[in-house]
Amino acid sequence: MGKLLTTVLGVVGAIGVSAVLFIGANKIFDLAPRHWRWFSALIGFLVSGTVFLVLWANDLLLSPLAVTITAVVIGTVGGFVLGNVSNRWWRLGVGVAMGVALGGIAGFYSQNIFGVLPDGTQVIWPARPDLQLGPLAGWTVGGAVLGAAIWQVRSRVKPLYRSVLLWGTLGWAVGAYAISNLSGGTRNEAVLAGVVLGLGFGALVGTRPLADDRERGRVQTESRKYIFLGPAFLFIAVTLIVPTIRTLILSVRDRRGENFLGIENYQKVFSNPNTFDTSGWRLLFTSRLFWMGVIVVVVGLIIARVRGREVGTSMVGSPPSYGAWFVGGLLVSAAVLSVLRGTLFNNLWWVITVTLVSSALGLGIAVLADRAKHEAAAKSIIFLPMAISFVGAGIIWRFMYQARQPTADVPHGGQTGLLNALWVGLGELTQSSTWPKAIAVTLVAVLAVGMALLAVMAFRDGVRGVGWGVVVALIPVLWFLYSLIVGVGGWADGRGQIILFIQNSPFNNLWLMVVLIWTQVGFAMIIFSAAIKAVPAVLIEAAKVDGATESQLFWKVTMPQIMPTIGVVITTLIVLVMKVFDIVKVMTNGNFDTQVIANEMWQRAFTELNFGLGSALAVVLFAAVLPVLVVNVRRMQRAV
Amino acid sequence: MVQPTPTRPANSLTDPHLGRRIYRWLSSIPTWILWGLVVIWSVPTFGLFVSSFRDRDAQITTGWWTGGGWTLDNYVTVLTPGAGSRGLTNALLNSLAISLPATVIPIAVAAFAAYAFAWIPFKGREWAFVGVVALMAIPAQMSLIPLLQLYSGGGHLTIPWLDKTVTVFPDLSLAGEISAVWITHTGFALPFAIFLIHNYMSQLPKDVFESARIDGADHFTIFWRLVLPLSVPVLAAFAIFQFLWTWNDYLIALTMIGANGANLPATVRIASLAGEFGVQEHVLTAGAFVTTVLPLVVFFSLQRYFVRGILAGSVKG
Repeated sequence: MGKLLTTVLGVVGAIGVSAVLFIGANKIFDLAPRHWRWFSALIGFLVSGTVFLVLWANDLLLSPLAVTITAVVIGTVGGFVLGNVSNRWWRLGVGVAMGVALGGIAGFYSQNIFGVLPDGTQVIWPARPDLQLGPLAGWTVGGAVLGAAIWQVRSRVKPLYRSVLLWGTLGWAVGAYAISNLSGGTRNEAVLAGVVLGLGFGALVGTRPLADDRERGRVQTESRKYIFLGPAFLFIAVTLIVPTIRTLILSVRDRRGENFLGIENYQKVFSNPNTFDTSGWRLLFTSRLFWMGVIVVVVGLIIARVRGREVGTSMVGSPPSYGAWFVGGLLVSAAVLSVLRGTLFNNLWWVITVTLVSSALGLGIAVLADRAKHEAAAKSIIFLPMAISFVGAGIIWRFMYQARQPTADVPHGGQTGLLNALWVGLGELTQSSTWPKAIAVTLVAVLAVGMALLAVMAFRDGVRGVGWGVVVALIPVLWFLYSLIVGVGGWADGRGQIILFIQNSPFNNLWLMVVLIWTQVGFAMIIFSAAIKAVPAVLIEAAKVDGATESQLFWKVTMPQIMPTIGVVITTLIVLVMKVFDIVKVMTNGNFDTQVIANEMWQRAFTELNFGLGSALAVVLFAAVLPVLVVNVRRMQRAV
Repeated sequence: MVQPTPTRPANSLTDPHLGRRIYRWLSSIPTWILWGLVVIWSVPTFGLFVSSFRDRDAQITTGWWTGGGWTLDNYVTVLTPGAGSRGLTNALLNSLAISLPATVIPIAVAAFAAYAFAWIPFKGREWAFVGVVALMAIPAQMSLIPLLQLYSGGGHLTIPWLDKTVTVFPDLSLAGEISAVWITHTGFALPFAIFLIHNYMSQLPKDVFESARIDGADHFTIFWRLVLPLSVPVLAAFAIFQFLWTWNDYLIALTMIGANGANLPATVRIASLAGEFGVQEHVLTAGAFVTTVLPLVVFFSLQRYFVRGILAGSVKG
């Protein structure tokens, strides 16, 4: 309970502070039109306070509390006066005095810097710059010239002296602090550096005329976008933009991120046989899967040729060809990626299989459910795994895949995992029983004969779609009949033979993919379903009036309409699958040749603490989704 | 796949009635396939559910479909506070402590930003918006190492040619703390949240804004009084999406909390339970189901919003 309390307090505190900050920011800028002097004082307070707090936080100040309070008082008073006085010389004087005072204090009370390097060692150096006249003058004059040039380029809108002043001061800052030896100077030099810097910025502030009503109103409205966008940009910068850049840098450094290595980490990724192994490519030509896939693709080509001849061209794609190419492509990719091993190929395999199968199944279910009774209930159940965590899904399927040492004289060899129980049970049925086997064979045979008769009838009626559909469906039924007769399933020598779904490489990868497919079909289905319902009814009616069949309706009307949605689903899935981590981590932790990039990255970075190699793997992952990112941006730009 | 074909009256069959009946029966096959898939889809979850009510012996020796060995002990073990490594109460609390703030904070931050992108004109707005949304595709892995370094050691900027380091962000020792997970989730969720909420807000009727502005309302008032109440549906949609996402998250919690066992959420605890083979497996079923219950309840009670969120996020683009 104590835990609950602290949590609630933390949450309420965090949200409360953010709300106060946000509303406060809005209220401060509401002051601008009517209470300009107070607004100006507040700005002075905030700016001076921020600068000195940063100095304080970096341990740069002697007696920091007193110095910071003094500085804040100076800033507030200066802001208040600047919000009142309109005489330009007075304004300049106040601005310069304020800047010089603040810069002087910062310089006079500067002290040693205590820093902590990323590796934890503490370093100390005095924060008093050793001013070198040459570089200092060079940078200042260079800055001023740059300012003049910028003024020229910006078509001379603002006064020249402001641009020169700003860039000259920035030049001084670089010359005084960035390129000088920060540890070699005296207190006088530190004061000088600070005073000039303060002088420059103070003069800039002082030369702004007192804001008139229009300017004050503008400040009030213009500030909103910064207040509204500020928090979001801060979070995005801290968690996404800066870390991405830093990961890019770390990926060319060593394991602790200290020394530059060049592309060595990337070489490691691609030369390691665990991540990139093409040595087994010859096995492809002895792979049954590969030739099956090739045959299916060729069948698709033949169908396309036949259709093409009917209309007088070389080849015409049609649903049967598309289906054959889809299935054949999946088979061939599975064959190729089962002989090319390694993390990178595993990822590729995941992306191809999960993306294609999830989208196709999702589309199929969306179509089937479109006019079914209890559509909502069916879709809910298919969609349900989306709400389960990948960790939970992995555990659920681990129980499905469970394999136990088979014991004799127990139903299905004592298997507690459903799939192995079915497999062993099937083997028992076909190989060690007589009557049950005979009944099963008879049933399947009757089914096959019935289907054959149906096909004949359909062809006689000229309903070719149904005919071919039945013929295609007959192939697996006949194959199953044949298997039943010769014996299939996990059974040999009078005992069960289990499948180690999770351990047997390389096809254990496919069994892991099933888990992700199980969760993602619902996602694809829900989106396709909405897209199908959004197809204008007028189009469908018109096609029906013209006598289109259901299948024509789907392929010629619905499909073109939902094409953009298919693109969205596929790109979303590619990004998601590319990053697959939880399922692999929970089910195999990358063992048994199931490693994927995300898990490899995690292991290298957080188990072995090799930040260089981990970052390189992250960059590989990033590079892999980069094309999708580009596609998304293009699509966005068209939409905006 | 068998495509249903409407019966044509012109069929020349020996027995036209029989043919018509068969074809009509055939056209119901798609529905059978659909329900077959529905059954297949629910079997794994159902199996886990049944298993979780069976004792250790029953789980080890027989499959869940045979029944027997019914008990509630697994749930008792999992839900008893202080049950050591097998107890999940603490982890479930942590999950809540992570996912509630990690849902609320991004909504607040993103709603402001989305409003600015939709209704405050400024230079380069389209580009900034596209840029933010493009960040959606960046893998979390790109940020993990630097973020962990930031949480555990603060942010430092090394000036290369001086070989000196300046602290930009203080070391708050956030690694292992729940707040580190909030910050990370917030940042990662923002691009999608801004995208989703912006799409909705930008569709709000323009007249509302103009009349409000004539009445002298500034952006803050319009946002607070007008836009926020009107945007409740999309905020709810995102909230549910984000809640499920953070509750189910494993990668970020594992990385940012890591070894600090007292703060680990349920997903990480369950995953490490799964790693201890054998002994714990019978408790694992109950544990996995307990962690799934809340998302399922949220999902079924608020499915409409969840679906709307997903749709708006994907179809609109």
